[in-house]
Amino acid sequence: MNKKLSENVLDKFSMDFLRNQVLKNAYGNNNTVIAQLDPRILLLWYLFFGLAPWFVHQLWFLLASFLLVLVTTKLARVAGLVLFLFAVGVFSQTGYLLVVSLLFGGDASTVTPLLVLTLKVATCSLASVTVFSGLDPDRLSNGLMWYGCPERLSFSIAYAYRVLPMLMEEFQNILLSYRMRGNPPDSDTLWGKVKYLCYQVKVIIHAFYPLMLNTAKRARTTVEALEIKGYRYAAVNKAVKKMKLSTLKVGYNDFLFLALSFLWMAVAMLVSTML
Amino acid sequence: MEMTKTQSATQSQKLMVFVLTMALYGLATLFTELIPQFQAGIVEFSVEYFLFIPLTLAMLFDPMSAALGAATGELVFSEIMLGQFGGLGELEKFITVTIGVYIAGRMVKNPQNRKMVAVAAITGTALQLLMGTVIDIFKVQFAVSDFEAVAGLPESVFATEGFAFLNDLLFSGILFCLLPTMFLVPKLYGKMEPLLGMRPRDGKTGLGRINVKVLLGAAIAFAAAAGAELLAESGTALVDWEASWAESQTAIAVAMVAAGVVAVLALIVLKAKAGKREKAA
Repeated sequence: MNKKLSENVLDKFSMDFLRNQVLKNAYGNNNTVIAQLDPRILLLWYLFFGLAPWFVHQLWFLLASFLLVLVTTKLARVAGLVLFLFAVGVFSQTGYLLVVSLLFGGDASTVTPLLVLTLKVATCSLASVTVFSGLDPDRLSNGLMWYGCPERLSFSIAYAYRVLPMLMEEFQNILLSYRMRGNPPDSDTLWGKVKYLCYQVKVIIHAFYPLMLNTAKRARTTVEALEIKGYRYAAVNKAVKKMKLSTLKVGYNDFLFLALSFLWMAVAMLVSTML
Repeated sequence: MEMTKTQSATQSQKLMVFVLTMALYGLATLFTELIPQFQAGIVEFSVEYFLFIPLTLAMLFDPMSAALGAATGELVFSEIMLGQFGGLGELEKFITVTIGVYIAGRMVKNPQNRKMVAVAAITGTALQLLMGTVIDIFKVQFAVSDFEAVAGLPESVFATEGFAFLNDLLFSGILFCLLPTMFLVPKLYGKMEPLLGMRPRDGKTGLGRINVKVLLGAAIAFAAAAGAELLAESGTALVDWEASWAESQTAIAVAMVAAGVVAVLALIVLKAKAGKREKAA
């Protein structure tokens, strides 16, 4: 039973699974409500829900914003892996702190401030999951560029999504070839397991040696190709930027999204003042 | 010939180093984000850092490009692509990684000197971890409003953060930063530079020793990182401001709700009208 479970988990975490999840997250949900909104509006919206919870200690306000971002995350149809990582991240940030503060003689009174902290962390993370997973990378980088983020960043985002599947595949191939040629230590006893783990870590680090050399070649090719197209000149040229951003349009849906969010928060504030 | 003349590289070579570090470190941080951490008792064995990748590259190539590439790679691959972007907190990570890697890269004059490489690698890692720890402590202090009053919380924060720092430095730092860097830097030295069309770094082509200017720059950047985190401090002031409006708060909230309803209705009507016009046209 135990063995079967661990095999099952390992199956899930194969390289192909990871690659699929990442790609699905990037390009798989282009037709959701969130993905069709204007990236500039969404970033503005994120700026509020990413910052405001840190400044406010009112429970109603926090609860309402949490519910709102929960709904938007659902609307954005985020990949399962991302949500799993989110849950793990939130717990490891605050749950761990709770356990230790109980250890140092805290009691039930410690729970409330930590719950508030958890609510804040969760709201900010879910808002970012909505915006950064919900949008497809090209729209996201266009939106960032409109706000005057350096061209380097937009380039990095666009490049990352395209090069990542290739890099992952190459890394996997190198690892497999090491595994084929290598002779892993016996992993039956406890000491053997430790040795096996050390062996695995060593293989991963060794695998970076050929990967670094290959990627160096690839980076040179990429940059030379960019230079031929005049990338460094275009990156600082205003006319080019204007052309690139001309596809962005703010429509009624975007304003409706903002207005609905505003209405929801206003209702929450009303409720909190009446209670 | 012109291309291979100096270590302080041309703009396009800097871009190459940037792209290279970004792709490699991004890939590595993506794995660390996905690999589950396993805990033995209270000691956490996380494969926290593949920091050896940017460290190695910063020692071989232009340190500033490598440092910025590493920080951007982490931001883009593991934060934005996985939707884990944490707002201001990421700025802190961005700056601390940049400082740590840059200083480590500047420290090494001759990459074949293993001792220097080892010292630089562990210094860079320790710097990055220490700055992160200090900022983390501040963060909890200001996020929880009555920090001092909560029983057991201050001690537990100091204890967990201090412990995490030592754990990271001694476990991840040595195993994943120090040893791989010592292995990779001499091995890659002289082999990797020609692929980017550069001459290997030696005493003459190095950028020179770390001076006051570098340290001062790092200090200012760290202050910026801390400042970004501590913005949360003004949260208390904001609440006070709200309290002074307490009498009319309900009225304000009612007005806001009304404004929200009007805005939503108006937008729905406008949208319906626009839809009709499009159909007609």
